[in-house]
Amino acid sequence: MNNLGQVTIWLGLIAVCISSICYMVLCFKKENIFARNTARLGFAGFAAFVTIASLLLMHFILNHDFIYTYVARYSSRDLPLKYLISSFWAGQEGSFLLWVLLGSWLGLLLMFKARDMEPHVMLIYNLNNIFLVILLIKQSPFELYLFPPPDGQGLNMLLQDPWMVVHPPVVFLGYAAFAIPFVYAVAALWRREYDGWIKPALPWTVFAFVSLGAGIIIGGYWSYKVLGWGGYWGWDPVENASLLPWLAGTALMHGMILQQTQRKLRKTNFLLAAFSFILVIYCTFLTRSGVLADFSVHSFVDLGITGWLLLFMFAFLAISIGLFVARIKEIPVSKKGEGLSYFSREFGFIAAIIILCLSILIIGLGTSAPLITRVLEKASKVSTDFYVDTNLPLAILMLFLLSFVPLLAWGKNSLSRLLPKLISAITGAIVSGVITLWSGYPGIGVLLLSLLAGAAAGMNILLAARLIRKRITISSAAIAHLGVGLMFLGIISSSVYDRSEKVFLAQGAVQTAMGYDMKFYGPKFLKEAKGMRLHLPLEVKKGRTQFIAQPDIYSERARDGQTQRYVHPYIRRGLITDLYISPLDYDPGQKKSGSGNHLHLKKGNKIQFHDYELTFTGFDVSAMMGRKDAQTMRVGANIAVSYKGGEPVKLQPVITIGQTDSPASRVKLPGVEDAYLVLVSIDATAKTIGLIYQGPRSEAEKSAQNSPPAVIAEVSIKPGMTLLWFGTLLILLGGSIAIARRWTK
Amino acid sequence: MKKSYIIGAIIIVLAMVMAMYSFKSTLTSYVSVSEAKVSKCPVQVAGIVVKGSKRYDLKSNSLFFTLREDSGDEMVVQYDGPRPANLDDVTKIVAIGQYEPKKQVFAARELLVKCPTKYEGRVKGK
Repeated sequence: MNNLGQVTIWLGLIAVCISSICYMVLCFKKENIFARNTARLGFAGFAAFVTIASLLLMHFILNHDFIYTYVARYSSRDLPLKYLISSFWAGQEGSFLLWVLLGSWLGLLLMFKARDMEPHVMLIYNLNNIFLVILLIKQSPFELYLFPPPDGQGLNMLLQDPWMVVHPPVVFLGYAAFAIPFVYAVAALWRREYDGWIKPALPWTVFAFVSLGAGIIIGGYWSYKVLGWGGYWGWDPVENASLLPWLAGTALMHGMILQQTQRKLRKTNFLLAAFSFILVIYCTFLTRSGVLADFSVHSFVDLGITGWLLLFMFAFLAISIGLFVARIKEIPVSKKGEGLSYFSREFGFIAAIIILCLSILIIGLGTSAPLITRVLEKASKVSTDFYVDTNLPLAILMLFLLSFVPLLAWGKNSLSRLLPKLISAITGAIVSGVITLWSGYPGIGVLLLSLLAGAAAGMNILLAARLIRKRITISSAAIAHLGVGLMFLGIISSSVYDRSEKVFLAQGAVQTAMGYDMKFYGPKFLKEAKGMRLHLPLEVKKGRTQFIAQPDIYSERARDGQTQRYVHPYIRRGLITDLYISPLDYDPGQKKSGSGNHLHLKKGNKIQFHDYELTFTGFDVSAMMGRKDAQTMRVGANIAVSYKGGEPVKLQPVITIGQTDSPASRVKLPGVEDAYLVLVSIDATAKTIGLIYQGPRSEAEKSAQNSPPAVIAEVSIKPGMTLLWFGTLLILLGGSIAIARRWTK
Repeated sequence: MKKSYIIGAIIIVLAMVMAMYSFKSTLTSYVSVSEAKVSKCPVQVAGIVVKGSKRYDLKSNSLFFTLREDSGDEMVVQYDGPRPANLDDVTKIVAIGQYEPKKQVFAARELLVKCPTKYEGRVKGK
C-alpha cells in the first residue's frame, strides 16, 4: 500500500487502541508508571498521526494532487488559497477527519486537565475516538483514482464565502467538545463520584455550548447573506442537527450549575450529559446516512456508514444508560424535608431545563418524522409550521422565567421584595409592547412573546450593568440572558414584520418598491474562470439617501451540461432595518435595432425584404472626387430596388468613413410609406454592404415588442436583523466569560 | 413534592398532546401528481421544473412553473414565498402544498430545491 494518508490513519487507530488498553489497565489496577506513560504516549501518538493525516490532505489539496478522489471532487486549480483550505471540509470524508482532528487536540488538553479521573475519562474518550476513526477509515478522504483527472471539479459556489471557511471547523469543534461532558459523566458513574465530575466538566460544557452556538450563528448569517431567500433559519434537518445537541448542552449547563451550588439534580445531569452526546451521534446519523435524503435541501449521501453510526449510537447509549441504571440506587438525592419552593432560583432552573427538554423532544420528533412515519405508512415530513407553533409557547414560558428568575435568590424568596426590582422588566415589556402594537397587532402569542422578550431584555440589561461594575466575570449569565431577550426581539421583528414586494425593473425606467425609487442601469457581464457573473446595478433613492445596489447572478455550466445559477442578494444594513434586494430573474429583452432591421447585401445578390426586392450592384466612388482632405472618405453604394415587384429604382446611399458621428445619410425607399435605408458599413474586399432599414414594421415584427433588458427582483425590508445578530453575539460573549471564569479556577 | 410532580406531569403530557396534534396536522407525505390533484390535505410532490415554464406574475406576487414528475405527469405550481436558492430550469424540486382544483394550480407553501453539486457524495457501487 503506497497510500501514505491511509497508512497514517491506520497508525492513528493502532495508537489510540494501545492508549485505551493501557488506560484500561490503569482503571482496574492501581498506579503503574509504565502503563500511564504508554497510555499518554499512545494518545499523543494518535493526535500526532491524525494531525499528519490532516496536513497530508491539506498538502494534496494545495498541490492539486487529483489522484485523490476527494481532492478532485472538492477543489480545482483556479481556487484561491482560502477556498482551497476550506475544500478540506467541503465533503463528508474531510469533515469527519476535521472532527477527529479537533477531537484529538481537545483530548490532549483533557488528558492534562482530568487529573485523578484521567484513566476512566480518557478510556471512554478513546472509545469515542476509536469509533470516529473507524468511520474515517470506512469513508476515507484518501481514496485514489486509477487515472487522475487534469483538473478537479472545484468547490461549490455557495460554499465560496469567507463564512463557510470558518463555519465547519467551529461546528465540529462543538461536536467534538460534546463528547467531554459525556465521558466525565460516565467516568463519574463508574468511580461513584456523583458530585466530583461537575467542576472539571462544567467549563467543557460551556465551551461546547459556545462553539456549537457560534457555528449555528455563522451558518445562519451565511444563509442570510449568500442564499438570497432572505432567511437565516429554515428548520432543515441539517440545521436541527446542530440545534438539538446545543439545546441539550444548554439544559446540561444549567443542571450542572444547580448541582454545583445546590447539590441538586445529580441524576438528571447524568442523563442530560449522556443525551447531549448521543444527540450528536443521532443527528450525525440523520444527516449522513441518507435516510432524510428526500426531505432536506442538503442531506448527505449515504457512504455506507449507516450501520456503524447506529452501532456507535447504541453502544454509547448502552454504556451510559446501563451504568446509570446499575448505580441509580446509590446516587444520593438532595436532603429530604428540604422542600423545593416554587418561588426560588432553583425552581426557575428546573423549569428552564424542562422547557429545553420539551423543545428538544419536539424538534427531535419533527426532524425524525420521516423515519417514524416510514415505519407506519408513507414517509412524511412535517412543515416548518410545526416547529414554530410548538416552540412558540415554550419560548413564551422561557422568556417569562428570564424576566424575573435571575433576580431571585436560592431558597425562599418573598414577592414583596422582588416587586420593586421588576421596574426595568416592566419598562422593557412596555417599550417592546408599544413598538409591537404600533407596528401592527401580530396575534396574541407573538404579542406575549414580544412583551416577555422585552421584559427579559430590560431586566437583564440592568442586572448586567450592575454586575459588570462589580466584577465582569460574574456578569456572564446576565449578558447571555440579555442576548436571549434581544435575539427573540430580533426574531419576532424580522420574521413577523418583514415586508417584501416583487418588482419588474426595465433598464432606465424608475420603479418604486417598498418606498424606494429604483432604476436599473443595465446589465454588466463579467467573465470569470468557470462561469459568467451578471452584475445588475440598481440606483436606489429614498429621500436624501441614494446609493447603488449591485446584486448579481452567477451562472456556471456544470459537468452534466446543466447551467447552475447562483443568486447573490444585495443587503444594505441599517441599525433598525435591512434593505434586502434579491434578483429573481433576468430578462435580456430585445434590442431596438434587432437583426430584423439589419440587411447584408453581397454584390450581385438579390434579397427580399418586406415588400422590397434589393440588389447591390456596386460601389460608387465618384462621391470621393473633388474632396481635398484625406481624413474622411465618402463611398456610395448602388442599389436597385423594386417595390412590390414594380420597376426597379436606382438608389445611392453614401457612407462617410473616418468620421465617427456622420449625419445619417438616408435614402428614401420607393413606395407609399415613409421608409428609408441607411448605409452603415462597407467591405470593399468581400464586396458587401450593411444597411439599416428605418420604417414601419412588418406584421411579424409588430407582434414581438421591443423591450429593454430587465430585472425581476424581490425587495424586502427586514427590521431587527441588527438586534438579532447583536443578541446572538451577547449569548456567545456571556458563554465565553463563563469559560474564562471557570477555567482559571 | 408529590403534588408538584403531578402538576409537572400534567403540563408535560398536555404539551406532548399539543405537539402530537400539530405533528399530525402538518405532516405531509410524498405522493404522485395524480394523487396530489385529489388530495384533501397538504402533500409533497417531487419532480423537475419544465424548461422555460418558470415565470413571475407580479400582480399576484408569485412564481409559476410546471412541475413534471418521473412518470411524465405535469401540473402547474404557484408559489409566493421566499425564493429558494438556485431555483432553475430542469432542477429536481419538491413542492409542498395543496392542489386547488378551482384555479387548477398546486399552491405550494414550501419548495425544496435539490442542488446536485451540494454535498454531493460518490454514488455507492461506483
